[in-house]
Amino acid sequence: MQTLSADIYTKLVSAKLFIDRHFDEAVDLETVASNAHLSSFHFHRLFTKVYHITPHQYLTKKRLQKAKELLKTNELSIAGICTDIGFESHGSFSSLFKKHHGLAPRSYRNKVQEQKEKAAYQPACVIPHCFIAPHSPEEK
Amino acid sequence: MITKISHASLFVNDQEKAHDFYVTKLGFTVNTDATMPNGLRWLTVSPPDQPDIEISLLNPFSSGMSYDDESKAAFKVLLDKGAMGAGVLYTPDCRATYEELKSKGVVFKSEPKEQFYGVEAVITDGCGNWFSMTQTKEH
Repeated sequence: MQTLSADIYTKLVSAKLFIDRHFDEAVDLETVASNAHLSSFHFHRLFTKVYHITPHQYLTKKRLQKAKELLKTNELSIAGICTDIGFESHGSFSSLFKKHHGLAPRSYRNKVQEQKEKAAYQPACVIPHCFIAPHSPEEK
Repeated sequence: MITKISHASLFVNDQEKAHDFYVTKLGFTVNTDATMPNGLRWLTVSPPDQPDIEISLLNPFSSGMSYDDESKAAFKVLLDKGAMGAGVLYTPDCRATYEELKSKGVVFKSEPKEQFYGVEAVITDGCGNWFSMTQTKEH
């Protein structure tokens, strides 16, 4: 298996962690590459080789993961979440969210809300019974 | 016909510490977090690209669990030793993930090494378990 130098790994990991910390801002991937002391071309090529996803796809994935978390735990409007995670267009956010997670943002929020209410008021509905009741020997 | 695994259990000696490891450090997402009136906390997490598998982080010492004292004592010995080999975690690049997780304070039992099947490091969750963290060989 071809390995990269330790220096390249350090640069790529610090670039990935930069995206992890700043994905909700207007991240300029050319600046990320230049901070990692790599040309845009090499940054794109090496990042994709290591993470099996392009830097832009990774940025989008991080934003959509955060959107999921906010939809689950927050009362913010969908438009507010869209802005908070760094998307400029509500339309492209909604269609990308649906493509990645199978449901439109509002439908996802409604589904999660229903599950949370069930878990809070009737926890036995979400926990397999065998984990909460002593096992009895199987009848012969 | 069984077609897939929907839930798998992982025993941990501290659920809060486990939450920090799997969610904050590894980036898993919380799927369900529900507490029974008897005190049993059902906390499940999912890896980022496998939202449909729920890994239940179970504390065998929790008041709601039905283990007898002998079983709890056995769990205590194994979890305190960090002796539970819990599975294999896939990573597209073992060395990069090793660097990243080390920087987040994760403890490894071994550094990335070339094996017949790919590159592998052994990672610990700090709650009783270790995993092979493997980048499988590309064919």
